[in-house]
Parts: sequence; C-alpha cells; structure tokens
Amino acid sequence: MTNIQSAAVTAEAGGPLVPEGLPTEPQKAKPAWRSLNFGPRMWISLGIIGAVAALAFIGPLFYPYGPDEKVGSLYDAPSAEHILGTENFGYDVLAVLMASARNSLIIGLLAGTIAVLIGVAIGILAGYIGGWVEEALMGFTNIVLAIPSIVILILISISLQSTNVAFLKGVVGLALVIGITAWPWTARAVRAQASSVATREHIDVAKLSGARTPSIMVRDVLPYLASYAVMAWVLQLASAILAESTLSMLGLGPSGANSLGKQLFWALAFQAVATGAWWAFLPPTIVLTMISFGLLYLQSSLDEVFNPRLRRGKKKNLAKAAARREETARKLAEQNQRVEVTA
Amino acid sequence: MGLRRYLANKTIWYLGALVVAVVLNFLLPRLIPGNPVDVLVSKMGQGGLSSEAQQRTYEAFMREFGLDKPIWDQFVLYITGVFHGNFGASFSFYPTPVSSLIAQSVPYTLALQLPAIVLGWIIGNLLGAIAAYKGGGWDKSVFTTALLFNSTPYYCLSIILLYVFAVVLGIFPVGGAYSLGLSPEWSWEFFSDAVSYWWLPFLSLVLINIGGQAVGMRSMAIYELGSDYVNYSRSLGIGDRKMTGYIFRNAMLPQITGLALSIGTMVGGALITELVFSYPGMGTLLFGAISSNDYPVIQAVTLIITVAVLVANYMVEILYGFIDPRIRASKSGEK
Amino acid sequence: MTGILMRASNLTAVYAADSGQDVPAVDDVTLDVPEGQIVGLAGESGCGKSTLGNALAMIANPPLYVVGGTMEIDDEVIDLSTLHRGANEAHRPYRGSTVSLLPQGAMNAVSPTLRLRNLVVDVMRAHKPDTTKAEALDRATDRLNMLDMPTRVLDSYAHQLSGGMKQRMVTVISTLLNPKLLIADEPTSALDVSSQKALIEMLLAMVEKKIMRGVIFITHDLPVLSMVTDRLAIMYAGKIVENGLTEELVNNARHPYTSALLSSVLDPTVETRTKHVLGIPGSPPNLANPPSGCRFHPRCPFAMDICKTEEPAFLQERDHDVACWWANDHAYETVPMEVNQL
Repeated sequence: MTNIQSAAVTAEAGGPLVPEGLPTEPQKAKPAWRSLNFGPRMWISLGIIGAVAALAFIGPLFYPYGPDEKVGSLYDAPSAEHILGTENFGYDVLAVLMASARNSLIIGLLAGTIAVLIGVAIGILAGYIGGWVEEALMGFTNIVLAIPSIVILILISISLQSTNVAFLKGVVGLALVIGITAWPWTARAVRAQASSVATREHIDVAKLSGARTPSIMVRDVLPYLASYAVMAWVLQLASAILAESTLSMLGLGPSGANSLGKQLFWALAFQAVATGAWWAFLPPTIVLTMISFGLLYLQSSLDEVFNPRLRRGKKKNLAKAAARREETARKLAEQNQRVEVTA
Repeated sequence: MGLRRYLANKTIWYLGALVVAVVLNFLLPRLIPGNPVDVLVSKMGQGGLSSEAQQRTYEAFMREFGLDKPIWDQFVLYITGVFHGNFGASFSFYPTPVSSLIAQSVPYTLALQLPAIVLGWIIGNLLGAIAAYKGGGWDKSVFTTALLFNSTPYYCLSIILLYVFAVVLGIFPVGGAYSLGLSPEWSWEFFSDAVSYWWLPFLSLVLINIGGQAVGMRSMAIYELGSDYVNYSRSLGIGDRKMTGYIFRNAMLPQITGLALSIGTMVGGALITELVFSYPGMGTLLFGAISSNDYPVIQAVTLIITVAVLVANYMVEILYGFIDPRIRASKSGEK
Repeated sequence: MTGILMRASNLTAVYAADSGQDVPAVDDVTLDVPEGQIVGLAGESGCGKSTLGNALAMIANPPLYVVGGTMEIDDEVIDLSTLHRGANEAHRPYRGSTVSLLPQGAMNAVSPTLRLRNLVVDVMRAHKPDTTKAEALDRATDRLNMLDMPTRVLDSYAHQLSGGMKQRMVTVISTLLNPKLLIADEPTSALDVSSQKALIEMLLAMVEKKIMRGVIFITHDLPVLSMVTDRLAIMYAGKIVENGLTEELVNNARHPYTSALLSSVLDPTVETRTKHVLGIPGSPPNLANPPSGCRFHPRCPFAMDICKTEEPAFLQERDHDVACWWANDHAYETVPMEVNQL
C-alpha cells in the first residue's frame, strides 16, 4: 500500500484554502506594515523612549543653564529659576540631568551596537558553519557568559582608570568595554536561529548556484535573523545603559563626563537621600527607570509581533466577532426549528 | 544523552570556566601599565613622609605583595594563596588580612541575596503561571506590574524605597545593618533589630526578582497553552486544574535554566543595592576598595563573586539534569 | 434511530480571523455513523474535515467556534455549540468517554514530563474521580494485552518511544474509556508503511472487539480509505458532497469532485502506464468568500447554469447521497471521467 498523494492534493499546494487551524485573510489588501500588528504597547514604549531622548538631545537647546555653570550652593531646593534645584557642586540639576541622559544614551547606543554586531557575527559564523567552529565559538561564548560580566567590567575599568590614553577613560572607552563584554546573549540567540536557517532549502539553492560562504551568510541567512537582531539590539541597549550606571555608581564611570549613574554616585557620596534632597537623586532614578522600562517594554511588544503564539487578540475585534457569532447561532437555531416543524 | 554523560559534561565544563575565571581575575588588574604601589606610596607621600622613608616603604610593600617577582611566580603565589584562603593583606586596612574583611561582609550579602533569589523565583513563577492561566484583565495587570518591576534596576528601586519608606515615612531605618550601640551576636534582640534594617534592601531585590520570574513564566506558560498535549489532554476530558499542572511542570524547566543564567546579572545589581543602604556586605566592601585602590580586596571580592556564581550555576544545572525526564531517562528506542 | 450509532445534524463551525471576520469552515453538515462501522471522511487539505472532527469531539478552541449543531447518540441529544460560557464544562464529561479524538501527530500529544501510566490514571480519574491507581493501571494493562502490545511501555515517557509505538499508545489511551465513537484524525499520515499497517490492524481489531462502536476516519490518503472504511463521506469547501458505501463510491461515483478525487490516485498496475492522470484544474475556494451556488462549479467539467446560482440539495438514492445538479439530472449514473489512452 503506497502513500502517494493525489494530484488534486498537490495542486492545492499552490492555492491555500483554509489550512486546518488557521483563519484566512479577507480579500481587501492591507499595507504590509499594518499586518505587523503595532499594538498600544509599542506606541507607549516608543513614547517613553522618545521623551527621554528629547530630554537628552533637544532639551539643552532650549534650557538656559549649562551643566558646568555654578548657579548655587550645595543642594539648593527647587525654585522658580531652577526647577530641580542644585546638586552637590552647585550646578543646576536639570542641566546636569540632560547632559547625563545624553551621555548615558550615547554609551548605551555605542555599547549596544558593538555588542549586537559582535554577537550577530559570532552567532552566524557558529550557526551556519557548524562543526568544530561552532563548538569552539560556543564554548568561548558560554565561558564569557558564565563569568559574571560585572566582575570583568570592574576589573577592566579599574585598569583603565590609570591609563594615560584620554579617550579610553571617557565615554567612548567605557562604551567599548561594555560592548565587548555584553555580546554573548545575542550570540547564543543568533546561533540557534542561524543553525535552523542553514538547513533550509534556499541555502542549498544558493550553494548550488556557486555563491561563496561569506556572501551566503550575509545575503541568505542574515535577513531571516533580522527580527532576532532587532530584539537583541533593544535588549543590549537597555543592559548597556544599566551596566554603565552600575559602574558609575561604583565610581568607575566615564571620567570628565556626566552620566545618570554618576549623578547617583554623587548623590550617595553627599548623602542626598538621608538629607532629603530628593531633587538630586529622584530625577536621574526616574529617567533611568523610564529608559529601562521603555526599552524592555518595546522588546516585549516586538516579541509579540514576531511570535504570534504570544498574541492574545485585540479586544474590540474579539467582542464584535463574538456578537456576530451569537447572531449567526440564533439564526441557525431558528432555521433548524422551522425545518423540524415542516419535516 | 544520558544522565551520567550530562553530569560529566557539566562538571568538566564548569571546572574549565573556573580556571579561566581565576586566570582572568589574576591578569586583568595587572593590565595596568603602572604599579599600584606607586599610587599608594605617593598618596602616603602627600602626608609628608621623607623621600627616603617613601623608598623604604615602597620596597617593603613590593616585597610584601610579591610585586618584585616575575609574573609567573606571582601567579603561583596567588593560586597557592587562594587555595589556603589567604588573599593577602589589605592595602588600606594594612595589616588586616583580606580574608577577615570578607568573612565579616559575606554573611550580610548572603542574608540579602539567598532569600531574594529563592523567594523571588518561587513567588514569581507562581504569579506568572496564574496570570497566564487566568488571562484577561488579571493577566494584563500582573504582566504590566511585573514588567515594570523587572525593568527597574535594583538600585533605582532601592533609592525610591529608601526615600519613601525610610526618609519620608520613617518606617524603616535609613542605613546600616543594625542600630548603633549593638554588636553582632546570637541574640533575639540583635536579630530583630537587624531584620528591620534588612527589610528594605531585601524588598528591593525580591520585588524585582518576582517581576522577572513572573514575566518569564507567563510567556512560557502562554506558549505551552498552545501545545498539542494540552489539546490532547482536553480531548480526553481531563480537567483544567490537572492541565495547569502539566503546563507548570513543562514551563518550569526553562525557568530553571533561566535562573542559572540570571544569577550572574542579579549579583551585580544587588551589590549596588548594598551601597544605597550602606549595608555592610561585599558590595560596600568592594566600593570602598575601589575608591582606595585596595587591589588585594578588589581581587578577592571579584574572585569570590565569580566562584559563587559559577557554583550556583553548576548546582542549578545539575538539578535540572535530575528533573528533566528527557535527560534523566534517555531514549531506549521501543519499537 | 435504528442501526445508527451517531447522527450529527446541521453542524456549523467558524474560524475567527484576525480581522474580525468569521470564516465558516464547516457549513451546515449532517453526517451519520452506523453501528459498528468505519466511516471515512475525505477531501483535500483544508476542506474542513479536521475541523469537523474537532467539532464532533467537542474540543473546538477559539479561534474556532461551533456556532450550531447537535449530536444524537444512543437517544441522547448533545448541543455541540461552544458559544455560551458553560459549554466547555458541559462537554467535558463526554470527551474521551462518549466521543474520543485520536489526534493528528501523536508525536507531541503527551506532555514530555508525564509518564504514560500517570496519564492513564489522570484520564480515568477525570471521569470517575475515585478510581484508584491500581484500577486504572489494571485496565490499561488488560487493554494492552488484548491488543498484543508490550505492557512495560506504560512506564516510559513519550520521548522514549518510536513514532509508530507512540501512535499506537495514544490510540490505546484515547480508547481506554471505551468511547462510543472514535474520531481518528489523519492517524497514518506521519507513519512509515509498516507502522501504518500495524495501526490499521489495531483499529480494525478494536472495532471487532467492540471497544468502539463506530469510527470516523479522517484522511486525505485515499488508498488507505478504500482499504479501511465501510462508508465514505467526501467533503469539499466545508460541505459534504457525497456519502455512501465505500465500494459504491469507488466504483460508482456520482459527484464530479468525488470522481476526480478518486481517479487522481496512482494505482501501480500495468494499465497505469497507459493512463493519463488528470488533476483537478483550479484550486479550492477561499472559504471567506465561497463561490455562489454549488461551490465546486468553477472547477467542474459538468457545470450547468443552475450550478452557478443555486446550491444543490441532497439527493438521496438507495443509501447513496449526493449533492449535485448534474447527478440530479442523471439518476443513478456514474460520473464519466475521460481517461486518455496514450
């Protein structure tokens, strides 16, 4: 008894009916981006991130005071002129906040991008090439992953403290250090995906047509990893910003530059919390939380976009549909009763 | 692969990671193109020591810390020292041995982190599973709250809690581990006093852990809800409660792995929390050491943190091997 | 109803698409299963047969909703609709004990962290809460012995079994409570040939021993259907178009779709070399917007004007039902399918 499919069944493969278990799309075409299901979550998170970015990059253009201007003394309370008062050096807190936010964001962007680039590169190499290359790269990745990154960051930062190369001590140096220690997560996720993409048919086609390995990796594998890379990038941004502030609070922040973590460092050093000078520490805390929350929320909404099983359905559509169904059911019941009566 | 092979695999791997960690811990601070003793001595010199005295102190320190020997000898010294629990003497608190400084601070760190990790994991997973199961409004509010907590850095929550509950409302003490005048001892009085200092730092850790676990568990459970086995059990008439049990058991597995992976990051943030509360654990010790360039202390603390994280990961992975039936009972190929 | 185990009447089930529109996957279907018989349900992928199976087994899950229909079995009439809140709980006692589903893809049907013997106990307790472990396991081992299967399989986890063994174990568990009706959804699709044979023999043995009193065998694998089933129902675009004895349909198809479907199977006999296998032109319709009148008319070589405007009524002839205008005009005639000789 052979299991040969009928010609009719294979013809069907060209034009899908209702595949068992999936609803069909209605006839009218939707623009491609619409089907990406941008929910309210995404707009909220983008809004939060946008607000912080505005504070950091647009704020200084309009705010009269600079972060290095001494406008008062230690912890002056907020006043009409300085809405957030002054911090321990007598600088305007809002001005410092804007500069800090800007630096923190820049460090986060730099470090996060570096981390994603390294992670994606290693992930694709490991996942696609496989074999001992994969073993070696993944072994290396796992070791870097197992050792707490904070430890490595602290140790390297301490070394950098005493160096004479200026830029290594500042914002860029810090971003570099964070970037080259943060990539393992991304590498792991990307490798798993690259591995599975490598087994797909279009890769075989590419190989048969004579494309060389680097070209295949970039043009045939990479596009399928796009969604993972984007989500990883968002996560790396968040963790880089947080890593920087952790280091800054330990006293290992970028020298000569403000950052959110550094503001907190000074606040702790000058006992701002105990003396109740909330304007010195609450603003950076809130901004830091906002960035962190915004980015993580963004990532979870992207997760829903790319992973349909997590979707739980739009409320208003569900309610309407349910109502319509009740209608249909009632009509059918009436129909059947009438049939029974006449039968 | 069988359980034995899994265990052997993991053991070898973790030993390897340990070796790398120890070597890194030794090498990284020595990347400095300079001499920590120089920094120290020049600091002392600002206090007005004669240059001759400085030179002698310099040489004494160099000998003391073995910095006059070639690097390989230093490494051997270091390793043997570590095995005997001897981390040398602190630069700043000379001649206090580093090990005693650590011994004083470890209990406080453990008292904070262990319950925070364990309770956070248990409560978080329960919450996440219930949210996934109930769905609807309950699910949405739990998820958003959990996500909010999870995305707040530990120290940010610490600062907020400290300000609101200690400074403004005065319910909890502002900092430290116990009231002035008391000293650590095994008495009820000391214990109950210490707990009031412990609450806020503990809360700021555990709330965030709960948030993180709840978010993860909820995603896993929702994913499992769409599985074939859920549909099949339903088709046999099995009730919702039993099915939730199945889902939980399956969703737990990746959560355990996730726990292992996140211990490393948790530890980092928790250290800063100690700073905020002036809690005398390893975080505060580390902070002080960094500010005063106390290299022996820095090295020892980072090594201990690394080893602790590796050990914790190792135990979690071993536990996983015993729990996941796919590893515990490998294929026997029944036809 | 004499001699009829189960009658499903006016069954309609819809899928809720993301856009909010409802797509009817099963449209006003009526189906009988006679006592002691295996009824095959055939059609192309996506014609609604699995959906029908799910609706009958009362496990329809959103986005699938059963909007209307009843099942009459042993003088009891069960409302199959899943729209009102209490429907799930109301259906639960029937699942597994009155109607049971043998799922497509038994590969993942059992939770990976559940031993088979624990699943057995859970299933029995779901219907009779005071069943002891011993009772449940006894029943399972008796059943396994009856079907010549190794009993030590009960101690395993799903991942320890081969594909064929898994499928047979799932079959045993699905029928442990002696359900009146078993709905087998593509049970042989993922199996190799020898496992298929073993499974089919097991199903036939179970029907003979009266473990089940009737089976609906869903598949698109026509050779299997003709060997296993007593009766055959052909589905197209959510509706049943022809229904009758298998032998009758195979030799005497009255609906053009049935004829095309059955003749599109490759039968490796000597004559096949000279035959030209015809596919069916076009593709199955989009159920969100089905063709007017008879749904098959765009692809039917015998389409007449009336086919485009009016849905054909079910013509009932001597235990051979067909819904087709052409069949109406040509009573008792087999559909002539052209076969080109090379």
